[in-house]
Amino acid sequence: MNAYAIDSMVAAGPLRVANKRLEALLVARMRALLLMPAFGLVAVVALMRIATFGVLGAPDTPLSMEERLLPPRGEITDRNGLPLARNYDAFALWYNPTAMKDGGSPLVHRPEEVAARLAAIFPELDEADVAARLASGRAQYLRRRLLPEEANRVFDIGEPALELPAEKDRFYPQGSMAAHVLGYVKDGEGHLGMESVLNDRLTDSSLRGEPTAIALDLRVQGALEDELNKGMLSVNARGAAGVVLDVDTGEVIAMASLPAFDPNDIKTSDLMISDAEAKLGRTPRVFNSVTNQVYELGSTFKPLTVAAAIDAGIVRDLSLRYDAKPVKVAGRTLADSHNLGDTLNVPEALIHSSNTVTARVADKLGAERLRDTMRALGLAERPYIELPARGAPLWPGEKWSRVTTMTVAYGHGIAVTPLHLASAYAAMVNGGVWRPATLYKVEPGKEPAGRRVFKEDTSARMRQLLRMIAIYGTGQSADAPGYRVGGKTGSAEKPSAGGYRKKLLVSTFAAAFPMDNPRYVVVAMLDEPKGTTASSFQRTAAWNAAPIVGKLIPRIGPLLDVRPDLSRDIDISDLRPLIRSDIK
Amino acid sequence: MVRGSRLRQIGWAICIGIVFGGFMLLTFRVNAVKSEVVRAERQIVALEQEKLALETEFETRANQQQLADWNAIEFGYAPPRADQFLETERQLASFSAPRAPGSPDPIRFAREMEASDYPALVSPLADHDGEGSQEETSSKEAELAAAAAGDAHLALASLDR
Repeated sequence: MNAYAIDSMVAAGPLRVANKRLEALLVARMRALLLMPAFGLVAVVALMRIATFGVLGAPDTPLSMEERLLPPRGEITDRNGLPLARNYDAFALWYNPTAMKDGGSPLVHRPEEVAARLAAIFPELDEADVAARLASGRAQYLRRRLLPEEANRVFDIGEPALELPAEKDRFYPQGSMAAHVLGYVKDGEGHLGMESVLNDRLTDSSLRGEPTAIALDLRVQGALEDELNKGMLSVNARGAAGVVLDVDTGEVIAMASLPAFDPNDIKTSDLMISDAEAKLGRTPRVFNSVTNQVYELGSTFKPLTVAAAIDAGIVRDLSLRYDAKPVKVAGRTLADSHNLGDTLNVPEALIHSSNTVTARVADKLGAERLRDTMRALGLAERPYIELPARGAPLWPGEKWSRVTTMTVAYGHGIAVTPLHLASAYAAMVNGGVWRPATLYKVEPGKEPAGRRVFKEDTSARMRQLLRMIAIYGTGQSADAPGYRVGGKTGSAEKPSAGGYRKKLLVSTFAAAFPMDNPRYVVVAMLDEPKGTTASSFQRTAAWNAAPIVGKLIPRIGPLLDVRPDLSRDIDISDLRPLIRSDIK
Repeated sequence: MVRGSRLRQIGWAICIGIVFGGFMLLTFRVNAVKSEVVRAERQIVALEQEKLALETEFETRANQQQLADWNAIEFGYAPPRADQFLETERQLASFSAPRAPGSPDPIRFAREMEASDYPALVSPLADHDGEGSQEETSSKEAELAAAAAGDAHLALASLDR
């Protein structure tokens, strides 16, 4: 076309202008023709982009940081926000024989050399075993949970086959502490403790960014476990359990069951035991003896019986003396552990832990009223707590015979968990209101209403009596100066196939402090303590469980905002003269 | 005509070139900022993770059992006794003994000027025909008064034995 135009331009002069116009028109058309599809294409692309936005929504790349910071499982903290369980990237040591990709030897050095250098970093590794595993040429974990500095040292060995992948891992910084409360995580599922209870919350993507606080206080928990452990070892006990409970809210401030397990490193032996061991009454370490194991808790029940009798108006005059000679009932003889004289009044009976007087008081009270009080204290059903492991108490049924009433009065013939006892004691000292125990943090003013079991003045009387046991009676070694401790010992013989076994005891101390305005209940229990030098060759609670509480309370009191004060105490002047001078 | 149109064409081309260049510059800049943001985010994530790891390591090394063990072996600290707590200032004051006759005077320290001792600032706008010298005298007066007050305080302190 151009050639033709040029030809015509050269050939004819008058046609020049017309040709030029034609040429310009052509060029313009050509441009328009080229531009039109270009604009059209841009428009289509823009429309499509708008359509994608409309259909799929805005791209969510800005959220990626939040997503990456969101832990795969929520953190659990104590009541003050200190971490108890959290997720973090831990390095693992993975042996990848194909890392070199040259088909030759997977390692640069000899396997023995590499194993020796690894053993220098991780002293607990078995050098020969590692060398064998490296030589085998199979991909495998050599170790998990490396510290960053250890990872650097492994990197310095210079073996490409030793890989250090960062893995998401559930970690418990406090080790075995509060293991029974927390539980553990396996394959992304929480087991046993709060990990299991809170599993949905901890995995919910809208909630897991925020840590979940539970009622425990890490420092109190540490002190409780430390003192229980020391006490357990000093008397060679098989196990120990302890709980610290807020009397007004029911919050569990600390809960320990020993021996414990390490949730960072769950072993098969923690989860199950052999049949032979089970026959001996042993339990695996994951078994929570505070909430799941029931015991006949013995004399710690006596204050509950006395409180029921005072509340019902059966015991009005505390100076009234009761016969303290052995009781013969239904062919059985109930006696005291040692002779305490012919008669005792109720304060003396509690101070010296007299079975006979308590049995007589219960007899006077009657089976029905004692049973109703025990039931109102929650002793007839599984303990109230969020944990899945809750033991059913051995409840003596609905019709109590006379002998049942008398033995239940001093804690035999009924078996409950230590947590049951702690909740019952909280109700007895807090003004008479029973509240369920909880592992959730209770906001101030939001405590559950609970149910009234005892009258206010019964509770006040019991506070005096419990304090007197700690001052004059079997609880003297728990009387931490200035903390106004009150409590009761209990040393119950363990039942077995052929009746009670005299030498195997469960010794318990149930206490509350400060007695002029009770704030916390502490229960410490030892399973099968032996008579050792530490306990002056005694097995009873006054010599092993009570000292634990006596050492624990000064450690936890200031942490829980209870200040010791030597100038303050509950007024016991009206009961003081009732105690015989020879035992004052 | 041709020249003019050529010029215009070149002008358009230059215009488009400038606009396109500007557009590309802006795009590059935006993308650079975007990648900076992404890098910063990555850094934040890495630092957060490092913080978490360090915090966890600290918590682990200083866990309650470890602290109890150290205390048992190294320090032997015991919980505070009841007589180590004070409830009120009165209780604290009860520890002080009256001065014995002939005992030396208690050491007194010179008091530093506190913020409240300085004269209040006078606004130069509120009192514009008042001369600077007047202002100066007034502030000097205030200073003197403050010094006197300080002396009075010291005098009171020395009386209070």
